[in-house]
Amino acid sequence: MPFRKFGDTDLIRNTIVAYPKVNFFIFDGDVYYNNRPDQDGKFSKVYSSEVGSINLYEYNIDKLAGSNEFIHPFITKQSAGASFKTVGQVSYSNEFVFGDRITGSYPMTASISREFMTNPSARSTGTNPVSGDTFATSPTHRHFYALKNRLNFLGQRSQHYLVSSSLGDKNSQTINLISIPSIAYGSQINPGSVSLKWYLTGSLIGELQDIKQNGELIQVGPEGSTGSGSVAGVVLYDEGFILLTGSWDLSSEQIGLTNGGSITEPQWIYYGAGAKDGVTQATAPAGYVSASFDMSFEGHTETQVLTMFAHAARGEVNFSNNPTYIAHNQTSLSLTSSTVFEENAERIIKNTVSSSFEDYEAPFQRQVYVSRIAVYDENKNLIGVATLSNPVLKKEDQDLSFKIKLDI
Amino acid sequence: MPTQYEPFNTSNDVTTTKTLLHEVIPITGSIVSGTYADGNIKNYSHGMFQSVYDYPFLSSSANHIFDITVGYDEESALSGAASVQNKKKINLYNQYAQVLLGYTGSTADGVRKFESDLLNDGQRAMKEVFFINFSRLITKDQIKKGSFALSLGTSSAFATPFADPRLVLADSLTTERTGFKNEAGGDYGVLYTSSVGINADSGVGNIFYQAGIAVITASVFNGVEMASSSAGGAQNVSEVLTGSAISGACDALRHRIFDLSFNNTTEINSKIYFCRVGHNKYNYSSNPTYLTGGEIRVKDVASDNPIAYITTIGLYSSTNELLATAKLSEPLRKDPTNELTLRVRLDY
Repeated sequence: MPFRKFGDTDLIRNTIVAYPKVNFFIFDGDVYYNNRPDQDGKFSKVYSSEVGSINLYEYNIDKLAGSNEFIHPFITKQSAGASFKTVGQVSYSNEFVFGDRITGSYPMTASISREFMTNPSARSTGTNPVSGDTFATSPTHRHFYALKNRLNFLGQRSQHYLVSSSLGDKNSQTINLISIPSIAYGSQINPGSVSLKWYLTGSLIGELQDIKQNGELIQVGPEGSTGSGSVAGVVLYDEGFILLTGSWDLSSEQIGLTNGGSITEPQWIYYGAGAKDGVTQATAPAGYVSASFDMSFEGHTETQVLTMFAHAARGEVNFSNNPTYIAHNQTSLSLTSSTVFEENAERIIKNTVSSSFEDYEAPFQRQVYVSRIAVYDENKNLIGVATLSNPVLKKEDQDLSFKIKLDI
Repeated sequence: MPTQYEPFNTSNDVTTTKTLLHEVIPITGSIVSGTYADGNIKNYSHGMFQSVYDYPFLSSSANHIFDITVGYDEESALSGAASVQNKKKINLYNQYAQVLLGYTGSTADGVRKFESDLLNDGQRAMKEVFFINFSRLITKDQIKKGSFALSLGTSSAFATPFADPRLVLADSLTTERTGFKNEAGGDYGVLYTSSVGINADSGVGNIFYQAGIAVITASVFNGVEMASSSAGGAQNVSEVLTGSAISGACDALRHRIFDLSFNNTTEINSKIYFCRVGHNKYNYSSNPTYLTGGEIRVKDVASDNPIAYITTIGLYSSTNELLATAKLSEPLRKDPTNELTLRVRLDY
């Protein structure tokens, strides 16, 4: 089989940048992803993951343990030392011998989550057993501590990021932190695409957008609303966090928005109440179900694409190794013995030229049907096969170019 | 931007490894026939195969799990002009046989036939077969050898297909190292039943591991009522293969599948870089927060050892372009009294 080399202009490497739209809707303790409902199936829920979660492989559709078993992964313990992240090092060493199966489970899911921090800089206290003195130990809100450096770094983009500035001190402000998993947006949230909407009994009472594309979440609506034009928080585009500190009243109507406690006016610090933060109708004071929240943004994904042009030039690629290319019932060998193997040189190629007339065979032409293109590496290892949807007729006097695209 | 780079010694610091990740794929027979009242079964106008999904296929949640079709060789007793879709069934058999087994070299009938053993000698040919073509989504790189099991109901009555003990077709003699053969379509093993002792004549099918295709001889259903009386009278398997379209024969097979399971395999290739940090290296940080007022923040006394905390490892190309970064789960203390070897693993 002859090989053809790609020329300098036959290989093109491109990057396709896409901005997938993402929407989360939060209502009554549930999160809905891209308006997908929680469907009932024949056995159980259609999605074995929670509604609002993004399922990594979307396996285990409508499954129920015991009657319709789950797909699950496993690794056999071997010298490479591979394991699942859920198996700790000690467990891996002590509980499994070589050859044992280490199992995991599907679905693997991710969703947004919300943390409500009334005193973000709070730390636990420990007591010196000798002196009886108390001292500060681990932070209560570790995620806030982990983000402090990053917030200060982004302070060069906007003063509103800074942990402590003339605009306020986040150490003591009440913070509403919404975490977005990267599977929802890719490499970053597209600046300028974030929109947070606060609905009270179905009416829009506030909308935040990052209209300056610098991470500031500015209240843009509804027109004339309290706090319009003010910055209620910031977005960390690369890290996937939304941090809200806006504490002005968006409405005078008081509803329950926290676990226990009392009813309060809607504020941005309560935005997203119920997004995997434990706030539900059962735990929040009356009126909680009046609130609903819509969060939308665009992600940013980059797909490397290799485009290859495979040329079948005139006078080339005009023979097939397919056995049916040769007419049927011919002697394939003219001579064979223990020392000689000679093929029949007179074998006839089957005439595949279509005739328009009955009982009339069209004159023979050299032609083949190209059905697939194989791509080899420099060591002639087959690394890919591109199959055409329909075989393409290639006549001897034709030049054909096939465009092969490969997403990497 | 680092001020110094540590070159890898490619013979000592870089190695490759391969991990096989498997998934257990159980497919309950009621999904294949019954649960969704065939809302998860797609037939096509070309009529050459039938697709089975794990949920009604009009839903975006549905995953394609396998295709079913049937075929017989032109030498089969069932082959004849009177058979429904006769040419298609012959062509399908030959197409599968060409792709999976290749050619004999003879001009008389150059295409190999499926056999109930691994000899490929023209003996014990299975000339009438069902094909189950699994989706790449669930077979991944290949089906794990020795893990395939298909449980079929072979009770004679159509209405109660699973009344008698079921016939389990499994690749019992195949392991990762033995009991398979490599042909044009990749490695394949023989499916044996649990009902008789395994011997040279007891094979009832083939399983092609890389291609993800199971070939099952129609003879496993001998003496079985394959189609219901209401749908054109009681039909045995031969009558179904000759008198029904391919879709009808596929329906008959689905009706007899009790359950099906196998393990798939994904090869994860990894490159491991051992990043060695000598005692006198990387004890200083270029992070702006490392200094306060021109002094190292973590030193109280001038004579103290410098201390740094390693949080990230950058992997650079030969032209010092940053290719990848590896993050530690927690910062690692580094001072002149310790040496570290950090193992960076890159899966692809």
